[in-house]
Amino acid sequence: MLGIDDPQIWLAYVLCFLSALGCIIYGALKWNDGEEEEGC
Amino acid sequence: MAVSTPVLSIVVLIYLMIIFYLGWLGYKKTQQTEDYMVGGRKMHPYVLAISYGATFISTSAIVGFGGAAGALGMGLLWLAVMNIIVGIFLAFVIFGKKTRRIGLKLGAVTFPELLGRRYQSRFIQGFSGILIGLFMPLYAGIVLIGGARFVETTLNINYDVAVLILTVIVAAYVITGGIIAVMYTDALQGALMFLGMAVLLAFTYIKLGGVVEAHQALTNMAYLVPESLQAGGHLGWTAMPEFGSPIWWNLVSTLVLGVGIGVLAQPQLAVRFMTVNSDKALNRAVLVGGPFILMMTGVAFTVGALSNVYFFNNLDVISIVAAGGNTDLIIPQYINSAMPDVFVILFMLTLLAAAMSTMSSQFHTMGTAIGHDFYREYVKKGELGQAINVTKIAIPVTILVSVVLAYILPISIIATATAIFFGLCAASFLPMYTGALFWKRMTREGAIASMLVGAFSSLFWLLFVHAKEAVPFGLSQAIFGKATLLSGTWTVVDPIIIATPLAFLTAIIVSLLTKPVSQEHLEKCFGK
Repeated sequence: MLGIDDPQIWLAYVLCFLSALGCIIYGALKWNDGEEEEGC
Repeated sequence: MAVSTPVLSIVVLIYLMIIFYLGWLGYKKTQQTEDYMVGGRKMHPYVLAISYGATFISTSAIVGFGGAAGALGMGLLWLAVMNIIVGIFLAFVIFGKKTRRIGLKLGAVTFPELLGRRYQSRFIQGFSGILIGLFMPLYAGIVLIGGARFVETTLNINYDVAVLILTVIVAAYVITGGIIAVMYTDALQGALMFLGMAVLLAFTYIKLGGVVEAHQALTNMAYLVPESLQAGGHLGWTAMPEFGSPIWWNLVSTLVLGVGIGVLAQPQLAVRFMTVNSDKALNRAVLVGGPFILMMTGVAFTVGALSNVYFFNNLDVISIVAAGGNTDLIIPQYINSAMPDVFVILFMLTLLAAAMSTMSSQFHTMGTAIGHDFYREYVKKGELGQAINVTKIAIPVTILVSVVLAYILPISIIATATAIFFGLCAASFLPMYTGALFWKRMTREGAIASMLVGAFSSLFWLLFVHAKEAVPFGLSQAIFGKATLLSGTWTVVDPIIIATPLAFLTAIIVSLLTKPVSQEHLEKCFGK
């Protein structure tokens, strides 16, 4: 897959993108969460 | 290098002027100790995310680990995965939120202070401060090497001069502007890094004929792996090394786990969670941080490995040969020979930014660790005394040590030395940091025991068992008459694999055997 034979490597390659995407989704969904926290 | 010096000088000058402006802004906004240490706890989420990322990712990650990927291959991408999942997601969502809240409740302004106050122990704060003051220069030294090596090859400036210039500039704005200056400049530097790495990735794939084509070409080169590496378990640049081989252990235990987990207990990163005023800021920072790290380490490791294809197509040699055997030179060499001049300028700024953003935080953390944590809180028992002067002196002294190290450390050292520091932090700090946040039953005695066991077992393993460091240091040889105390696979297992679990175990056992923390103090830390 992707020109890489070893599944241990292409899995890492794909996971890099998926985990970054996960961060984007998490941040977007929780964009306004935690607002009511005490400021100080 | 074909880039004309006047053009380059002008670009660098403009860059430096903006950096100085941001440094000045930091200086203006710094009125109290809390501003100098944690930016008054009101940093913007974007600044937090990029500053965290830019500090996390140094020239060490790009040049050192990118070069390591040039030698070892794409297996390093597992570290990129760890960087995103552990270094960003887990760090911000799980550790960051708790750190921010407890730090605020206890009025802590540094990482050692957070630990010291949670466990009501000045010893913990002082010892952590000294540990940071002693060992962080090693990490700062190699970041300097990474930056200076590139300036050396690109601008044709003498390496020693490059080291000095870089140091003086960063020291100037850290000492005057504190963490606000550090984080503002980080944010600009991070943006530059993002742009530089994006272009690097796109250009590399285009140059090599496309994504799949480039990977395929690298896969087809497996037969070119030098015999010495093959003997160590290297199976090609798009394959994991042979399971259990020395190279596998180095890749998995030292590079992927050591740095991947060690990041959680990095004092200069953890302190950043205390610079924002709400969990919202941390949530938003995750959105920026994840893709940022992908573009940093993901790109560096992919391009580092793919540089083999470029060098083979054009010079008929693999990367490590093209770089004269020094993995630290693979990335600079690749940029200089493969990229167009305009990009070389952009990338020079990228690396300059990467080095400066990490160094600034290191300088800040080293200075406050000695001046605030060790001197004020431990020696002077909290009295102000000469703390400000000590911090101001501590910053240049620790910087000087870093510069000396940058001169004397051997070649191909960047990735290894980073891993040593990250490993030491993981073993010494991670158990008590985790306990401080998530385990109310963890006691002061448990924390002290785990910190000491973690630090000393990590150093012991490094000096007496782990062959990569034990053999060149020669201490084991001098005392026991043999190069390493244990033999076989043990000598390639990284200290983090041994010391961190040992420290965790110590923390649990000692805590359970000692008197629980008073309810009153727990309420102070965690609220009702």
